[in-house]
Amino acid sequence: MSLDKVLKYTSASKTNPYAFDDDENFLKRDVTDNISHFDFKFAPVLKPAEFAKSHIDVKSQKDSLIKLAHGTTTLAFKFKNGVIVATDSRATSGNVIASQTVKKVIEINPYLLGTMAGGAADCSYWERELGRRCRLHELANKERISVAAASKLLTNMVYSYKGMGLSMGTMISGWDKKGPGLYYVDSEGQRIKGNLFSVGSGSTFAYGVLDTSYRYDMETDEAIELGRRAIYHATHRDAMSGGYVRLYHIKKEGWEFIGLEDVEDLYYKYNNQE
Amino acid sequence: MDKSILAEIVGDSNTGFKFDNALRNESLTSNGTGAPKATKTGTTIVGLIFKDGVVLGADTRATAGSIVADKNCAKIHYITPNIYCCGAGTAADTEFTTNIISSNLALHQMNSGREPRVATAMTFLKQYLFRYQGHVSAALVLGGVDSTGPHLYTVYPHGSTDKLPFVTMGSGSLAAMATFESKFKPNMERQEAIDLVQEAIESGIFNDLGSGSNVDVCVITKGKVDYLRNYAKPNERISKLKSYKFARGTTGILKESIHKFDIVVESDAMDVV
Amino acid sequence: MSYNGTAIVAMTGKNCVAIAADKRLGQQFLTVDMDFQKIFPITKKTYVGLPGLATDVQTLYKSNMYRLNEQRDIEPKAFAHMVSSTLYEKRFGPYYIEPIVAGLDKNNNPYICGMDLLGCMDVAHDFIVAGSADENLKGMCENLWEADLEPEDLFETISQALLNAVDRDALSGWGGVVHIITPNEVITRHLKARMD
Repeated sequence: MSLDKVLKYTSASKTNPYAFDDDENFLKRDVTDNISHFDFKFAPVLKPAEFAKSHIDVKSQKDSLIKLAHGTTTLAFKFKNGVIVATDSRATSGNVIASQTVKKVIEINPYLLGTMAGGAADCSYWERELGRRCRLHELANKERISVAAASKLLTNMVYSYKGMGLSMGTMISGWDKKGPGLYYVDSEGQRIKGNLFSVGSGSTFAYGVLDTSYRYDMETDEAIELGRRAIYHATHRDAMSGGYVRLYHIKKEGWEFIGLEDVEDLYYKYNNQE
Repeated sequence: MDKSILAEIVGDSNTGFKFDNALRNESLTSNGTGAPKATKTGTTIVGLIFKDGVVLGADTRATAGSIVADKNCAKIHYITPNIYCCGAGTAADTEFTTNIISSNLALHQMNSGREPRVATAMTFLKQYLFRYQGHVSAALVLGGVDSTGPHLYTVYPHGSTDKLPFVTMGSGSLAAMATFESKFKPNMERQEAIDLVQEAIESGIFNDLGSGSNVDVCVITKGKVDYLRNYAKPNERISKLKSYKFARGTTGILKESIHKFDIVVESDAMDVV
Repeated sequence: MSYNGTAIVAMTGKNCVAIAADKRLGQQFLTVDMDFQKIFPITKKTYVGLPGLATDVQTLYKSNMYRLNEQRDIEPKAFAHMVSSTLYEKRFGPYYIEPIVAGLDKNNNPYICGMDLLGCMDVAHDFIVAGSADENLKGMCENLWEADLEPEDLFETISQALLNAVDRDALSGWGGVVHIITPNEVITRHLKARMD
């Protein structure tokens, strides 16, 4: 007998009154229907969402709580030649730097990028699921999904788990028929269209740099340098951001990986220039 | 607690403990920045009475949470030339409590003109600890030889005391007591007593995670004390087979200044990259 | 420890001691200053490192300097006991500081001593660490330290211990400073470090 049966784990849709009881309606909201529904296991308690929340915490430093990798600077902005996406690469768990080489840009497909802030597992799982659904959309409709539709797929998916402990703040960016597209999506269910976003603990610092120099009609080189500097300055001031600057440029032909640069080198490069 | 109430309780005295950071620290804790961990002694401490006197024993591990803060600390504290005291609990408390009582007994000796008795030390300690209602967290094994013979006490943080022929305290007390219960005999010979104390401490060192490293022993007999620091070292570290010495110049230097005593020389800043 | 972020380490060598600290002053995860002094000279051959809450670093330093107005040099051991008593006086409302005293005594013998926030002293023959990166530093030092290092070798060892420890601690780093105390001179070096 499998462990879940021994422990009497049951999927939320069958017995848990607090989960989505109309699973069917949730699926119908999707652009693509006819997808097998998710069958996550919940804790065998009366209120699994409350249970999860009381054991998982991204902010406090209590030892008893499960810590999610968090603390990030990510940014994306539209300009005349496309979209620039840039991130740092640090993961912290409490005060400990768990990794300096995290890839916080998720390549959904050759035309779509997602960024990672909040729970790393939540971001990568749901954006991979998003990639699958985008591919199904392509097969069904014989054309690429728009950035607007893709980001809406993601919001709808995570919205159905609202309040159950998902943690995700992402920017979905890409290029479609209308040109460059950029949306901010988070696990609270927000979905905002915009020209410039930054997400994460270092976002205030990045916004400071971005707002000082941002113009829509920048040249590509200028835009890349702005993204680089914004991340660099955030890593300098925010203890939870650091490591490497990862840069992407999204053009008509799809995204292009610009590079990965150590912020230690950037610090001594910028400071010797002055 | 309201500051004025606090002041009323503790008074505005210029001596003794001060509480002026207490309110601030409370608010720091509620804002999510807790206090650094105080060093504790998980500890196995023991004592027994043998034919000619008292043997005290202790391990040498101090901990801060799950970290070993000190691998070879001394837990057998001096009280008077004829009285010593093992301490367990918050390391700072055992250190300072035994120190204060030691000072008070020295003054007492000068006043009375007599060699202090172990019972006097015990009374001083219990009165001091009772006053602080267990907040001064010192659990002690007090032993010595005075004009009335050998004496051995345990003193608990709240101020209660026991007088017994063999005692253990600290987190390793159960392991140590198991050894004593099975092997203790009245009127043992000196070496026999030392061996038993060593065995009891080692059972704490090996079976209790809060205790570790070496065995300290203190043998007190009439007119003589043998403080056998690191009497046994059952956990000697294996030395490295090769060195991790870095080649000189490994570390990048941005700026250097040399302060020669009497002369000050400032050199140029070195290259950044 | 974790409000402002710190890493301080002291090590003994052959007729010398070294004490090193990072330079960050933060407010939790926000970095405020990258040139904050955490090590203070007490006499020409005794230095004290004060890791912990920045407000207490400065208060404790000032109060101890005031009490040192004796017109003669204090021995590192005596100074350590003085700091220890200052801390224990506030047993029930402690300063959030875990001081480290490092120096050479009048016979030029190395002396290093750490304390917890209540003033419990730990006199070591090898190394002492404290701060938000203390566990990282302990690991580095257990591995790298060896007896009888010459001043220049001690510099490399303590610097590498510090730099590699703070590279895994989010709350400390942003540069480092090392003092190497020898019988004839004190060498102070500012280290090239990651600034994130």
